[in-house]
Amino acid sequence: MKKWSELKDSSFFDASARERAVGLVDKGTFTEFLHPLDRYCSPHLVVLGQAVEFDDGMVCGVGLLGRHPAFIISMEGRFIGGAIGEVNGAKMVGAIRLALTAAKEIKAKYPGEYEAKRPLVVISFETGGVRLHESNAGLLAHAEVMDAFQDCRHIVPVVSVVGSKVGCFGGMGFVAAAADVIVMNEQGRIGLTGPEVIEQEMGKEEFDASNKALVYRTTGAKHKYIIQDCNYLVEDTIGDFHKVLGEIAGKSMEEIEKMRRIGSIDLVREQQELVKLVGDMQPKDSMDVWKHFGNENPAALPELSTAEFLKTVKRRARS
Amino acid sequence: MALQVLEFNFKSAATQSIPKEWSHTGVTGSGDLEVLLEKKDLGGGVKAKVVTPVKGFDAVWEKMIQKFVTDTGVGNLSIEINDDNATPIVVYMRLRQALAEATAKEAE
Amino acid sequence: MDDFENENTMIGRGREAVEQIVDPGSFKENVINDYNFEADCAPGSVVGTAVLDGKPVTIIASDAEAFNDRFPVVFGGVIGLEEGYKMATAVYKTIEADKDKPLAEKRAIILIVDTPGNGPGKLEEIAGMNKATGSYQLALAEARKTGHPIVACVIGRAISGAFLCHGLQADHIVALSQEFGTMIHVMPLTSISRITKLNIEILEELAKENPVFAAGVGFFYKLGGVQEIIEKIEDMRSVIIKHVNEVARLKAEGKGELLGPWGRGILGNERGGRVDRVKVMDKMKEEFAAVAGKYIGA
Repeated sequence: MKKWSELKDSSFFDASARERAVGLVDKGTFTEFLHPLDRYCSPHLVVLGQAVEFDDGMVCGVGLLGRHPAFIISMEGRFIGGAIGEVNGAKMVGAIRLALTAAKEIKAKYPGEYEAKRPLVVISFETGGVRLHESNAGLLAHAEVMDAFQDCRHIVPVVSVVGSKVGCFGGMGFVAAAADVIVMNEQGRIGLTGPEVIEQEMGKEEFDASNKALVYRTTGAKHKYIIQDCNYLVEDTIGDFHKVLGEIAGKSMEEIEKMRRIGSIDLVREQQELVKLVGDMQPKDSMDVWKHFGNENPAALPELSTAEFLKTVKRRARS
Repeated sequence: MALQVLEFNFKSAATQSIPKEWSHTGVTGSGDLEVLLEKKDLGGGVKAKVVTPVKGFDAVWEKMIQKFVTDTGVGNLSIEINDDNATPIVVYMRLRQALAEATAKEAE
Repeated sequence: MDDFENENTMIGRGREAVEQIVDPGSFKENVINDYNFEADCAPGSVVGTAVLDGKPVTIIASDAEAFNDRFPVVFGGVIGLEEGYKMATAVYKTIEADKDKPLAEKRAIILIVDTPGNGPGKLEEIAGMNKATGSYQLALAEARKTGHPIVACVIGRAISGAFLCHGLQADHIVALSQEFGTMIHVMPLTSISRITKLNIEILEELAKENPVFAAGVGFFYKLGGVQEIIEKIEDMRSVIIKHVNEVARLKAEGKGELLGPWGRGILGNERGGRVDRVKVMDKMKEEFAAVAGKYIGA
């Protein structure tokens, strides 16, 4: 595996789950939980004769962002599409709960310093959701994650990081949305229903899943940034992600709360306005929505570099 | 239907193991594998355990790992592999890569 | 559906189920305390207030007969964008209604579950269907932690993401038995077989022993996903009342950890269906404890 200093300038998109986990926190600070030597494979895959992985496709651990303990959950898309089963689902829930444990200990031991040492949860998503080979256990794990997220509210920030090959779909699509903050690179995609299923439901004329540009316009980071579902759009290096996470770790809980898109009645009202807009407009393409939000030449946006895009883009005004 | 578990033991003249206690490389992606190397006192020998969904390639696995042991001259080493349909060439390449990573100096 | 089937399943009959469960004639749709919902928005969802065993409760269900003209993938009980946000609003309005009341007076929320999925369309992805379903789940989790007893009753289809959205954040989940055509799964075994390329006969054989992937109420019971299986339709009311009371009692005793998704994990371990989950988390706890000082004291 690459050294931290090499990871800094490496592509986030191409990085393995472990490289991302190590590189997202400060140099030399990452400690992995249930690392490969623990050999905690999925017992259910063994029964089905399916290949296993020592970390069950998820790298969890703790590192530091400045003085903030950062609990990292990093999914490996190359292992069964990063899908969630019993073991890796439990790892995810376990890591979030450890962040809450750490928060409690810091409050008890360093009562005046909570803000300065406040832990955070960082999840690097690369998954299609539930692992079908152990689908029931995977489904139940998703519910536990949402429950743990709610426990973190106003105490421990939860940050979704999305920018890997598989994207973030299925149940994990709403898990990512339920975090406080979302950071993406241009290649990142978040959705609930994958493109193939939409095509199957609506027909190829309405939605052609093989049209990569269309898929990106619908679920990709630029669209998410315009509609305010993505808080930070960054360049595709692990170093850029690391830098932004450091900034987020230092923000007040009040500022963190303002970055949310769901999680209160006021936010529901705000989202209902967006739904009303989409219902009234019946857009053929996300570009119709981009135009509505003030982007005169929406077709040009996908072509722009991240830096150019950030300079010119108009976003949905938040109420 | 169950996974295949293959175990091999190799004799090696060398007693040169890896400097770290253990080292891990790779992902069990489709057509790929992960390798876990561990320093073990095996009187110079090398033992290997392969977990794979593919049946009937025991001899090929043995040959590739033997080649790796011979070519690199490692000893006192435990090798564990989780495989998902990797070709012999990929197996050999990943083993070499795993050893290179296990012996790389911690420059930082 | 012919008459025989009608008698033996509650699929597609969410509104009827509401009437069978609550005190006779007590259900007032689109009203929660002093809040009135717009009646023509989110036709696929049914929300309102009823009286159950003499106490006010919030009801949330799906209407399998409704079509949402603005969002055409929403029919047959699908939870779409408007539906998800309406359901979330119902939960937040419930919290608001009782916010100054003591724990014992926080009204229950009853989820009648019969939904085949979340809106799978282009408009849904453009607006972000993930947020609508996520929003509803966070609202339910908040209500649960605020002290409202939440009981979900699966009367028909509880499928994948739609079950996560509408059901799996409840304190307790009860379900009509398989005999009534009740479906709880991510995907039927035939689809799992197709996608994972695993032989269907082998999967069927393995499913007898291993509850983690096969479709069915009994498997979810073993995994702790369902608290109790209801054997007769006429028992729905009494079983739900029993669970509302039990949940309220546990909350009063400060035993919230035994409820909701976390409580279902404990139950799944006790019932032997999900035993690895606990081992994983215990091991992680141990590993963190060994290094905690370095991070907490940083």
